Amino acid sequence: MMKRVPWLGIIAFAILLAVISPLIVIIPTSLTSANFLAFPPEGISLRWYEKILDRPEFIDAFYYSLRLALLTAVAATVAGTIAALAIHKFRFPGRQLINALLLSPLTVPAIIIGIAALVFFTRIGIAGTFRGLLLAHILISIPYVVRLVLTGLSSYDYTLERAAYMLGASSWQVFRDITLPLLRPAVISGFIFSFLTSFDNVTVSLFLVTPTSTTLPLAIFNYMQEILDPLVASISSVVILLSVVFIFLLEKVYGLDRLFGVNTQSHS
Amino acid sequence: MTASRKVWRALRNALLLLAPALVVLLVAFIIPMLYMFLLSLQDPNGQLSLGNYLRLFRDPYYLGILWRTVKLSLYTVLACLVFGYPVAMFMARSSGRVRGIVTFLIIAPHLISVVIRNFGWVVILGEKGWINSLLMNLGVIDRPLKLLYNELGVVIGLTDAYIVYMVLALATSLYAIDTSLYKAAGILGASSVRKFFSITLPLSLPGILAGSTLVFSLSMSAYVTPALMGGTAVKMLPVITYENIMITLNWPLGAALAFLLLGSTYALVTLFTKLVETRRYKEVFSG
Repeated sequence: MMKRVPWLGIIAFAILLAVISPLIVIIPTSLTSANFLAFPPEGISLRWYEKILDRPEFIDAFYYSLRLALLTAVAATVAGTIAALAIHKFRFPGRQLINALLLSPLTVPAIIIGIAALVFFTRIGIAGTFRGLLLAHILISIPYVVRLVLTGLSSYDYTLERAAYMLGASSWQVFRDITLPLLRPAVISGFIFSFLTSFDNVTVSLFLVTPTSTTLPLAIFNYMQEILDPLVASISSVVILLSVVFIFLLEKVYGLDRLFGVNTQSHS
Repeated sequence: MTASRKVWRALRNALLLLAPALVVLLVAFIIPMLYMFLLSLQDPNGQLSLGNYLRLFRDPYYLGILWRTVKLSLYTVLACLVFGYPVAMFMARSSGRVRGIVTFLIIAPHLISVVIRNFGWVVILGEKGWINSLLMNLGVIDRPLKLLYNELGVVIGLTDAYIVYMVLALATSLYAIDTSLYKAAGILGASSVRKFFSITLPLSLPGILAGSTLVFSLSMSAYVTPALMGGTAVKMLPVITYENIMITLNWPLGAALAFLLLGSTYALVTLFTKLVETRRYKEVFSG
């Protein structure tokens, strides 16, 4: 019998390849020894990686982004987790409204959040400061944490908590020894996702940085609008490798499919 | 303890835990949005007026840019649908490991900065990029094709950026299709084309609707991709909004542009959803 050609699979993987191709071509481009972007890349050298070290503005931007993303992740994870706990645990009037409000930044485009923050932060004097940028990044990360932790709580077993209270545990002990460990995957992925959200962000940061202290994606964005050379490729490669580490971490801890709300297991 | 005191205690405890998140929400989002709205209603003398909005609706320049933004967003939705559907269908037909790998491959690139992905497209599509060099060396073309800094470049960039949302929305609705329907159709002698148009496509409509509205809204408000892949030739609404805020520093007009962007996106998404739903009801009720 003739074997059927799996056309659907071939088409699907061709499309996937197209989606991944812009990331793949960057690596060989960064290894060129030529002074310009060309195909096929001429020669092999690490000179464009060495060049990064000559550009302190990219190194500074990297540390700035790292500090911003870490602080954003810590603050958004703490604020988002306790907010989700409050919504899930307590029955109070306006609960649904508060839940909707906490998720509302997701429904407004990033560019509008950025402009609104700029005009108001200028008014209260924190535009162009690290504090202002941090505040805006925490804002856009909180909804993800709230959503992840609420999903984690939906399968939360309260009998464990009750049993602990009966055995004389304090509320702090219950939180530390029962609530937190059970929510660990949701909280950790909230942390990593917040980190990536902040580290990758351009559209909100655009309005809140100053020329002297800028984030890494924005530094690349600005450089790209002036010059297109293999330096962009070498810096991008470093960021890609770094992001890949976090993506695999996220996949291990939580699963990208669950993170984006698709269930790959059930097939009804 | 009375019931009302119990409610108050719950409210107090909840507010204590909600306080940090609510403070951030108020200071960085709700108050700024209201403040920006007030700003959009200010004329150059600081008086309350609708002048900024009237100017946007009377000036063909802004209306032209609004129309281009809507048009390119619709092209992007179409491209995401055409290229996303086979991927979602493949995900629905495979199971276990293969489905996991495809899901990972479609989501993972999305977690890497859009600036970097756009740069990759510049490397591929540029005048001396991979596609043009390859075709020139093979002798297929003798002048480089213009694939970048035009509307095509923007649509390619936006499709790559947002296809993940379309695929996941489609996949979710395809997973829910009862596979016994296909068996029944097969027993009744339906061809695979017939099965697709009578079962798969109609039952994936909710996914098509969800994916399309999401991709449309995201494309309408995208800034980075039109800036990097459209250049100065293809200006979209977010790009000129940015220019008004950061370059010409006309904040009241920029704020009005921001609300035009928000309002037109919500209006078109609502209109589209209503249209599709009325059609569906008609199909159900009048056979």
